[in-house]
Amino acid sequence: MADTAPPASPPDGVPPDAPPEAVPPDAAGPQAATSETVGPEDGAPRERDVTLRMEHASIAYGDVPVLEKIHGIVHPGEAVALIGPNGAGKSTLIKAILGLVPVVRGRIEVLGRTPALARRDVAYVPQADTLDPDFPVSVEQVVMMGRYRKIGWLRRPGRADRTAAAEALEQVGLTQRARHRFGTLSGGQRQRVLLARAIAAQPRLLLLDEPFNGVDAVSQHALLEAISVLKGRGASVVISTHDLAIAHLACEEVCLLNRYQFGFGPAEEVLTPECLRATYGGHALELRGDRVIVAQS
Amino acid sequence: MNLFEPFATPFMARALIELIILGALAGTVGVLVLLRKLAFVTDTMTHTVFPGVVIGYLAAGEGGIFWGALAAGMVTAALLTLLTRRRKVSEDAALAMLLTSLFALGVVLVSRQSGYTTDLTAFLFGRVLTVTGEQLAQTALISVVVIVMLALLRRPLLLRAFDPETAEAAGYRTGLLDVATNLLVAVVIVAAVRAVGTILVIALLIVPAAAARALSDRLALIVPLAVVIGVLGGWFGLATSYEASIHHGVRLAAGGTVVLVLTGLYLLAGLGGVARRRIVRRRAAAGPLDQATAGISTGVTG
Repeated sequence: MADTAPPASPPDGVPPDAPPEAVPPDAAGPQAATSETVGPEDGAPRERDVTLRMEHASIAYGDVPVLEKIHGIVHPGEAVALIGPNGAGKSTLIKAILGLVPVVRGRIEVLGRTPALARRDVAYVPQADTLDPDFPVSVEQVVMMGRYRKIGWLRRPGRADRTAAAEALEQVGLTQRARHRFGTLSGGQRQRVLLARAIAAQPRLLLLDEPFNGVDAVSQHALLEAISVLKGRGASVVISTHDLAIAHLACEEVCLLNRYQFGFGPAEEVLTPECLRATYGGHALELRGDRVIVAQS
Repeated sequence: MNLFEPFATPFMARALIELIILGALAGTVGVLVLLRKLAFVTDTMTHTVFPGVVIGYLAAGEGGIFWGALAAGMVTAALLTLLTRRRKVSEDAALAMLLTSLFALGVVLVSRQSGYTTDLTAFLFGRVLTVTGEQLAQTALISVVVIVMLALLRRPLLLRAFDPETAEAAGYRTGLLDVATNLLVAVVIVAAVRAVGTILVIALLIVPAAAARALSDRLALIVPLAVVIGVLGGWFGLATSYEASIHHGVRLAAGGTVVLVLTGLYLLAGLGGVARRRIVRRRAAAGPLDQATAGISTGVTG
C-alpha cells in the first residue's frame, strides 16, 4: 500500500510566517533542472516553510500534455486561487498535487515529499453536486469520512475522531444538521459539509475544486470563514475557481492557467487585464476601470 | 399456512437453513451492490458463472459445480472490474455481450448432455430441496469469510461508493476495492448457485437491499433490514411452496416462489416507504423552519 506512514513525521506547529511578497518564479532556478528521480528516502522535509512547491511541472494524461511549466510556491497559511477557463487544467493540477496524475517533467512537492507520500496531510474537497443526493449517509457520517485514514481498518471512531468531526461541522455552521441525510441539504450546505469533512482530517494542505459554484451567499460566507480559520492555523489552501472576486477575497496568491501558466503571484499583481486577456485568449473580456469581467463559455 | 410444520423433515430443514444463511448473506452484500449501483454488473456475473457451473458439473459431477462456479466467478469478477473501470457501466454494450455469450456457452455445453433439460433447469433454478449437510457447511463458511471481509473494508467501501474521487485523493486503492467488491459479489453468487440457481440469485442480491432502502435512509438500519427481508423471503417462500404443493396439489417451484415472495415484500416495503415519507412531510409541515428541507428530501428519495 502507498499509505505507509511517512518516515519522519514533520513537526506539528508550522509557523504561519508566510512572506507576503511573491516568490519570483525563477528563484529556484538553479536547482530546477536537477535530479528528476525523487526517491521515497527524499521524504525528509527540506524547507519547513513551504507547503507546496511546483518546479516547471508538466502534467500529462498518457501522451497528451494538459499543463506545462507550472511553477510556484505556496507557504503555510497562504491560499492560492487557480483561475482559468473551463478545460484550462485547473482540476488536473489539483489531481497532480494529489499524486493522481503523473508529473512528466519538472516536479511537484508537497511538504517536501512526493504528492503520493504526502496524502495524509492533504485533504480534497470535490464539488458537492458531483455526489449522489440519494445516497443514504447522514451529514455526520460524511464528516467522519475525513477521519477514516486516521481511524484505520479495525478501530471504531474514538473520542478524538468524534471531537474533530463535531468541531469541523461547527466551523461550517451546520452542527444542528448533523443527523440529517446529506442529500436533503441545499447545494451550498452540502459543499460546507464536504469542507467540514476535509477540516476533520486536519490537513496541512487543502485542495478545493470549484467550491463556490452554485453556492448561495450564506454558504459562500460560511465557506470563506472556515477557509480563513484553516489558514490562520497554518494550513495552505488551493482553490480552483471561475470567480475573480472570490479569488481576491480568499486568496493572497493567484495562479492563472490555460494549458500554460500565465501568472503566479499576489492577486493584485496577477489579476491584471493583460494577464487575464492572455489567459482567456480571445474570449469576451470587458474592462471597466479596475474591474474585470470574464465571460463564461 | 403453517410456517413451522413444513420444516420437520430433514430435507426441508436443510433447505430452510440454506435459504436463511443465503438470505442474510445476500441481503448484506446486496446493500453494497445497491450503494455501488452494480445491479447490472451483478446480473452479468450471475450469467457468466453459468458456464463455470456447467463445466464443473461435466468435469466432476455434482461436486464439481461449486469449484467450476468459483473459478468462473473469480475470472469474471476480475474481468468485469477492468471493463467497468474503463467505461460507464449502465449503458455498456460490452457487459451485455459478455453476459449473453458466456451464458450461451453454458447452454451449448449443457445441451450436449442426454438429460439436457433437467440439467439446464437445475443449473438455472437450483435445487434447494436437495441441499446436503456439506453444502450447508460450505455456505456457512463462505458467509463468515464474506462478512468478515465486509466488516474490515466497510469504511473504504463506503467512501468509495459515496465519493470515489475523494477516496482516491485520500490514498485508497480504489482499483483493489473494486476487485474486492466484485469478488465478494461473485462469491455470494457461487454460494447460492446450487440452491437457487444462476437466474434467481440476482433477486436475492437486489431485492432485499432495495426494499430496505425504501424503508430507511440510514445505513445502520438498511443493512439489518435487508438481512431480515432476505431471511423472511427464503422462509415464507419455502413455506408457501410446500403448502401449495402438499396441501393444495399445486406444484410451486421453491426457488421461484422465494423470488416472488421477495418481490411481494419489496412492494410492501415500497408502500411503507411512501407512508414514511408522508409522515416526514407532515412533521416538517408542523415545524415551518424545516419545511424547505422536507420538500427536498421527499423530492430525492424513492
